[in-house]
Amino acid sequence: MDGALKLWSVVVIVGVLNYLSRVSFIAIFARRHVPVLLARAFRYVPAAMLTALVLPMIVVAPGTPVIASAPRIVAAIVAGVVAFVTHSTLKTLATGMLTLWVLQLAGSAFG
Amino acid sequence: MRRFASYPDFREGFVEMLPAAVALVPFGLVCGVGAAAAGASLAGAIGLSAIVFSGAAQILAVQLLAAGAPLAVIVLTCFVAGLRFLIYSAAMAPYLRPLPARWQNGLAFLLTDQAFAAAVRRFDAGGDARAAGAHFLGSGFALWAFWQLTNVAGYFAGNLIPPAWSLDFAVPLCFIALVAPHFRTSPTIVAALVAGVGVLALASLPMKLNLIVAGVAGIAAGTLADFAKERWTAR
Repeated sequence: MDGALKLWSVVVIVGVLNYLSRVSFIAIFARRHVPVLLARAFRYVPAAMLTALVLPMIVVAPGTPVIASAPRIVAAIVAGVVAFVTHSTLKTLATGMLTLWVLQLAGSAFG
Repeated sequence: MRRFASYPDFREGFVEMLPAAVALVPFGLVCGVGAAAAGASLAGAIGLSAIVFSGAAQILAVQLLAAGAPLAVIVLTCFVAGLRFLIYSAAMAPYLRPLPARWQNGLAFLLTDQAFAAAVRRFDAGGDARAAGAHFLGSGFALWAFWQLTNVAGYFAGNLIPPAWSLDFAVPLCFIALVAPHFRTSPTIVAALVAGVGVLALASLPMKLNLIVAGVAGIAAGTLADFAKERWTAR
């Protein structure tokens, strides 16, 4: 398949599927009430889904030495504490990146 | 757009989202870099960021395109990664119920991780649903507009950024900023622990299926912990 055609197929199909995911329940539950159990479960969606999304980006693939992802893990924990206290994306990003850079510098200096 | 821009709540939402939009600059750059690396034309890269409008799906799409994966695999992977929008949609539904269908369908397009978090805060604060809707429109539009600018910037300037900067680490940091403030109750921490252990334990599943399996397990665990806690404190 031609590269441009494939890319635009991805854009259109994923674009439509993503929109359907986004509009789904907003359209379904627009006229009726959300069941109690579901409403309770919704409270835990951000914590569970975002944790599942973020951890594989921090911990490198199984099989590689743990030491390789150690600076990222430490920087992520520091950023998590800053996010918990400040609720600020900007401060979280700044401290996380700075911590990672310092650890990487230290790693290349002593490793 | 000019009519909406005159609403004070629209402007308030737009301005309130600016710090988060600025914080997403590195994430957008990473997505633009990825689109260029996958051989996308400028129009194709803009199509991805403007229509798909999901950093996680865009990164997966360009990685799989660059790896020469079949179209069906790319579409399925991005769809699975975007399934969390189903759950955001369900969580937003009660808030949006008072609004006209046209608003519901329009706001749904702007539903992202960041806009969802901001909208829940705004709607929970109470007040007129239409005002909160205009606020959502403002914050969602701010994110969308900044996202296009940073994706295009990344497309052109990507290879000027040294790899030693580890710019890709900005992506998990953006999600950490969203999730960490939630860790205030024990059921929430249970939900995150189960999801986190699950996603790493199931890392060998194809097409990022571990994300959905672990996410759903975490939600179930959090809900069970919530009921257990309620029963315990009621005694």
